[in-house]
Amino acid sequence: MKILKRIALYGVLALAALSFIYPFLWMASATFKPLTEIGSLSLIPDHATLDNYKTMWARAPFGRALLNSVFVAGTITISVLVFGSITAYAMARLRFRGSPVLNAATMAILLVPGQLTLIPMYTLIVQLGLIDTYAALILPYLFNATAILMMRQFFLQIPQSLIDSARMDGMREMRILFTIFWPLSKPVLSIVAIFVFMGSWNEVLWPLLVVREQQLMTLPQLLTVFSLGGGAGSVGVSLASAMVLVIPVVIAYAILQRNFIESMAGSGVKG
Amino acid sequence: MPSVHFEHVTKRFGSTTVVDDFNLDVEDGELLVLVGGSGSGKTTILRMLAGLEEVTEGRIRIDERDVTHLPPRERDVAMVFQDYGLYPHMTVRENLSLGLRLRKVARTEIDRRVTWAAEMLRLEPLLTRKPKQLSGGQQQRVAMGRAMVREPLVFLFDEPLSNLDAGLRAQMRIEIGGLQRRLKTTTVYVTHDQVEAMTLGDRIVVLADGRIQQIGRPIDLYRAPLNRFVAGFVGTPPMNFVDGLIGSENGGAAFSAEGIHFDMLDRRMPETMPTGPVTLGVRPEDMEVDVCEASPDGSANGAVRGRVVLVERLGGTSHIHFDAGPHRLLAAVTNERLPEVGDAIAVRLNSERVHLFVGDQRVSSVN
Amino acid sequence: MRAEQRSGTLMAAPYTAFLLVFALYPILFALVLVFLRWDLVTTPAFAGFDNVQLLAHDGRFWRAVANTFLFLSIHLPLQIVTALSLALALNRPLAFRSFWRAAFFLPVVISGAVVAILWSNLYATDVGLINGVLVRIGLRPVSWLTDPNTAMPAIAAMVTWKNVGFYVIIYLAGLQYIPRSCKEAIEIEGATSWQRFRYLTLPSLLPQTILVVTLSTINGFQLFIEPYVMTGGGPLRRTYSIVLYLYTNAFAYQKMGYAATIGVALALIIGGVVFIQRRVIGKAEAV
Repeated sequence: MKILKRIALYGVLALAALSFIYPFLWMASATFKPLTEIGSLSLIPDHATLDNYKTMWARAPFGRALLNSVFVAGTITISVLVFGSITAYAMARLRFRGSPVLNAATMAILLVPGQLTLIPMYTLIVQLGLIDTYAALILPYLFNATAILMMRQFFLQIPQSLIDSARMDGMREMRILFTIFWPLSKPVLSIVAIFVFMGSWNEVLWPLLVVREQQLMTLPQLLTVFSLGGGAGSVGVSLASAMVLVIPVVIAYAILQRNFIESMAGSGVKG
Repeated sequence: MPSVHFEHVTKRFGSTTVVDDFNLDVEDGELLVLVGGSGSGKTTILRMLAGLEEVTEGRIRIDERDVTHLPPRERDVAMVFQDYGLYPHMTVRENLSLGLRLRKVARTEIDRRVTWAAEMLRLEPLLTRKPKQLSGGQQQRVAMGRAMVREPLVFLFDEPLSNLDAGLRAQMRIEIGGLQRRLKTTTVYVTHDQVEAMTLGDRIVVLADGRIQQIGRPIDLYRAPLNRFVAGFVGTPPMNFVDGLIGSENGGAAFSAEGIHFDMLDRRMPETMPTGPVTLGVRPEDMEVDVCEASPDGSANGAVRGRVVLVERLGGTSHIHFDAGPHRLLAAVTNERLPEVGDAIAVRLNSERVHLFVGDQRVSSVN
Repeated sequence: MRAEQRSGTLMAAPYTAFLLVFALYPILFALVLVFLRWDLVTTPAFAGFDNVQLLAHDGRFWRAVANTFLFLSIHLPLQIVTALSLALALNRPLAFRSFWRAAFFLPVVISGAVVAILWSNLYATDVGLINGVLVRIGLRPVSWLTDPNTAMPAIAAMVTWKNVGFYVIIYLAGLQYIPRSCKEAIEIEGATSWQRFRYLTLPSLLPQTILVVTLSTINGFQLFIEPYVMTGGGPLRRTYSIVLYLYTNAFAYQKMGYAATIGVALALIIGGVVFIQRRVIGKAEAV
């Protein structure tokens, strides 16, 4: 009787897991199918073809978009890690006037929906003449409130004695941060790195606003424009472009799932 | 009338045997204590009785009913947990009444029982509070009230006092004992604290390594421990042990070890007296200490020569730590005049209260 | 400690500057924009309360608000039930536990744009996978995204699918916190599985449920890429979302003042709804 329950449980779980994975499998297989086979339910194409990928690559600068995404997401992640940790260190371990205000302001920001500031930020970018620049994509994301709060929380728990002995050895604060705190902070740094990178990698709305030039578009943006704008021409091509965005993520996720789950569930950031 | 029977109960986890062929009959209405160190199996036995652990072999019966494979809710037992297990989102009243509400008992009856338990445990002012607003002792009482209210066949206690501080523990011991006597419900009580066991139990089961070492009334365990483990486990401060030899001397038996020579002339069991290697066991409270004036030859009847190492004054009783040869021993005395560190003392052992152990087993004396 | 003060201020300076430029200024300017009419090219013109009045009577805006409430009415219960069920199923010693967890969480890490494109194809009336399956088992195909009655529910189902893994993790964390002795106590007290769920598990998960409701609600109000990609807001504006309207006003119509007004209104609506939700659930807890 108990065994029956167990089997039923695993059956349900398998069904559920399948429903989450299968659509991606179908998508992957559809990209290898010629137009005639798109509607078919089978996962293995009768006549597998790379045409969809070739068409996609020819019609829009996906290679360039991939590089753009890597550059933008990478820069933002590094900035948040480096500058964010400097800020978090100051807020956690140094006493200076305005520290509590800064803390309160950071927490308050998290309460404001992004849409409120969307238009003013857009007008600011326009006025600074930064439309169609990498700066427009990167600047508003140089600092991340969630990341700073997380790092600050973590830094609070590092023993004061480490700082004191470092100071007595003559170390300056920045040195302390990067040579002592950073090695000890691998858990929180990797969590921050993942959700910041993923957030930036998947971001669409902001690029749609500030970038018009195809050469500068990020991958999800180009993908959206391409699929909607009819540039794809066919489902297979449009899905092929989606694959370019998805494959690196899936590979990273397969290897690092625990870190991904810990990071994105812990920070409340979704793709 | 509810009694509990364990028949050849064994529990194995993989290849490790945690409880080995446990047999016990708990009498109706008695408070039976399972006592032992960690890993002794006492908690596992309790949990098997509760239905929280599966029995690998054997049977458990409550009265005539075989409950071995029944889920907890069909056994009509109630349990008090070490961390109380109170439902954090419910008030005290709701905690107390949940069991009855689950069984669809009539509202008036629920209220009657809750009031009765609350009165007995002095919980009336706390009924609307939530567990996190209560102190440890109060939470403990709510946990007991929750068990009482169901009027079960058996009460199970899993080290309920371990999370309380010493003063509270002593107080709660008395309350639990008193409660159980009033309610007369069969109770199985698990603890690692032998003082709790000795003061609370009608009978005690001493466990080690999943096996019963001895079952008996507290006084029996104290006076006539069956083996070295029980002898050393029961009683505070613990029994002194000295390894040595029994030989013949002057028509009677004498125990000798390095630095110790003890005549047992006034012991009347020549036939069953062992010869050869034995371990002598004597409780600190069965020793009397005289401070020596001169240096006698040391073989006065039943006296052991020693040199004082430490004196702990505890008020009425004092603990005198002394060396007899290479052996460090402890005497618990009520003398008004106490020796100083470094003094030579003569320690008289009451030969009727002395225990002899061959291997691990005690060789029984007259008493 | 003067040195500490100096270092601290210096180290915090870049962030402070950032906050002033990219946080404080936009929030304040948003409020200013509400009272302006501006197309980014000509000089801004003072518009008094025009934007606000227009918004109050703007059928499209209120349609979007209604759409969002419809979305939430489907998405919220579906999300809670599914996430909780999966979490309960996972909360035990299981083979391949991390595999199940990773499978459920997979859609969470995938870009919303990709998911939207994927499901556009799955929902496609003629060549979509879903209709393909329906036809196979003998049912009639449904025009998921082109039928005004099914479009928003279809999107709601998809968003639930995408995010449920996230909430499963949240519920799982909550389930770990239920003390073992409470679970054992309630078993001994006579609870059936259902009773244990109702009297212990569910009440213990109240904080998590509040979180699920709040985050899903905020997420629902911020819907953009899904309608943008899948339906363009149609059919008959039934999937038009507030943010989509905001975007259109800014990007297509160049009406900055009005777009900002929508943004402010959205922030207020979200704040209000979340506040009411917390009150209501808080009361439910007291009961």
